Amino acid sequence: MENLNLSIRQGEFVSLLGPSGCGKTTTLRMLAGLEFPTSGEILIGGRVVNDLPPGERDIAMVFQSYALYPHMTVERNIAYPLKKRGASKSEIVEKVSRVAEMLQLTPLLARKPRELSGGQQQRVALGRALVRDPKVFLLDEPLSNLDAKLRGYMRAELIELHAKLGRTMVYVTHDQLEAMTMSDRIAIMYGGVLQQFAPPQEVYREPANRFVAGFIGTPSMNLVDGTLRQDGGRWIFQADGLEIFADMLDDSAVSGPACLGLRPEEITLGSGPLAGVVQLVEQTGHENIVVVRIGQSLRLTGRASGNQVWRMGETIPLSVNAEAAHYFADGPTGRRLNAPRRATSFRNLQSVL
Amino acid sequence: MTTLSQASSVSMRAEQTRLERRYAHLGLLLIAPTVLIFSAVIVYPLISAIYMSLFSIFTPTLEGKWVGVDNYVQLLSASEFWWSLLNNLIWTVGTLTLQIVFGIGMALVLHQNIWFRSLARSLILFPYFISTVVAVLVWKWLFNDLYGILNHLMMSAGLIDMPIDYLGDMPNAMISVILVGAWKYFPFVVIAVLARLQSIPDQLYEAAKIDGAGAVARFFDVTLPQLREVLVVIVMLRAIWDFKEFDLIFLLTGGGPIISTQTLPLMVYKEAFALNQLGMASAYAVVMMAIMLFFMIVYIRKTREKSA
Repeated sequence: MENLNLSIRQGEFVSLLGPSGCGKTTTLRMLAGLEFPTSGEILIGGRVVNDLPPGERDIAMVFQSYALYPHMTVERNIAYPLKKRGASKSEIVEKVSRVAEMLQLTPLLARKPRELSGGQQQRVALGRALVRDPKVFLLDEPLSNLDAKLRGYMRAELIELHAKLGRTMVYVTHDQLEAMTMSDRIAIMYGGVLQQFAPPQEVYREPANRFVAGFIGTPSMNLVDGTLRQDGGRWIFQADGLEIFADMLDDSAVSGPACLGLRPEEITLGSGPLAGVVQLVEQTGHENIVVVRIGQSLRLTGRASGNQVWRMGETIPLSVNAEAAHYFADGPTGRRLNAPRRATSFRNLQSVL
Repeated sequence: MTTLSQASSVSMRAEQTRLERRYAHLGLLLIAPTVLIFSAVIVYPLISAIYMSLFSIFTPTLEGKWVGVDNYVQLLSASEFWWSLLNNLIWTVGTLTLQIVFGIGMALVLHQNIWFRSLARSLILFPYFISTVVAVLVWKWLFNDLYGILNHLMMSAGLIDMPIDYLGDMPNAMISVILVGAWKYFPFVVIAVLARLQSIPDQLYEAAKIDGAGAVARFFDVTLPQLREVLVVIVMLRAIWDFKEFDLIFLLTGGGPIISTQTLPLMVYKEAFALNQLGMASAYAVVMMAIMLFFMIVYIRKTREKSA
């Protein structure tokens, strides 16, 4: 991890999102006390916890594999953290039954983890975390072992639970849909470096750099390498077969290699001044994801209605929404060149072949 | 049409039956060598031992006469049998307990990320690999009351004034035999436990840490329950092997002093080749088997109840 500086507000649901090996799980494990930072401080509730063992940090963690004690019943699994903290028998019984009730685990209390489905095991792991009422919940890809339908259901349950408890939750995931739908803010990481920490809409609409732009969104943003040049006081982006006015760029931009980012929904297929050859059509039911080739090698992905059918190899008209374009500096994590859109006044938008 | 389809279905069934019969024959043919070998080396000696135990047989000539259950009556009324059985139980429980305790302890140490781990894992197998005769010779030198290093070190350290007779006095002899047995066989426990320890998911320990469990609590709440299944097998195998241990005890003490370390396998040997009573020796062997069978059935039932 490099120079990570992350401040999470009380009661916030924060997702650590990034590809494998980006450092999100390491960050979570450092918060939990299972890994140790070589330098820097970790504070929970204003208290430095670097030297505190995991059990004294007032945190609870839900693991990807659930990590339920296989020889204990559901009841004993949930009661375990209370028992280890010397809670009285009556307190344990009361809290376990309350949590079991909340998570609909009451009929399963006498079962062993191996007798439960994935979703039930997941709820037991949550129950074991909830029963102590800790300051922070750490969740390490808790839904990744579930099938798609159950994942959707548990996602909704977690959102509801967070709203009900109002506790701080730090959630590690590589699934952007989970991060986007559940989080108050998302910390996007890559190569051990925090790339952007912002609410879901902001990371989608105003990605801080090229990596975030390409990582967030399905299908991902079209990233076109080209060059920026100034002509008659206007910025122009030029790539193979495409020239576009970049009027939202100000004087801080510099001429040279740059990257144009366009969300698939900002490309209108079927009408417009451009022409492209259909390369691939992915039918998802309600919409079609269409890859078109413009010029010799430029490929752009756009969205079309599910009713709109194009054959591969067909030449179709299209247009791009230049106003919604993003520009990034050269390199895999090249910074965003255009200022946040809300502060920008757009002038003419033109696109020419 | 119906007749035709009925006929074809009947012929298909007949073909199926023929195939099944051929597979059954092939199955019998494949299993036959195993059954024959098993019968020759297990079933025949077992039945033969039970049969011989009903005779009074003179070993050198193998001539004998039918005595029915007299051998058993005589055996059960002999105090030497009960002493040997008691010694057998003390030896088995003693050495097995030490093997398990040291075996788990050493496995836990070797499971840690220590710098000489690979070398230590190889060295730990050394006692298990060396021949019992060699091991006994080495221990006899160590234990010797005249020139043994153990007595020398203890006297040099001022712990004792006079050399201790480790193998010629009681209870020293039994303690020594138990210790040597534990030393010789604990590597088996180490290897089996270590293999299981390596398959316990780290996340269970991490979850326990977060739940507030210290090192001791983690051992009793995570490690030990995870070892339960492998320990059931280890205890069962080692109990059987220790109960019928012969060479180590025979070479170390010969059952002495007098009969203080004489166990049932030594008694079987004594009856068969010292007293030339092969029938009585067979009766001892059959009783040994019955005792082991009884304990194993009780043990398996108890562990099944616990795990359920």
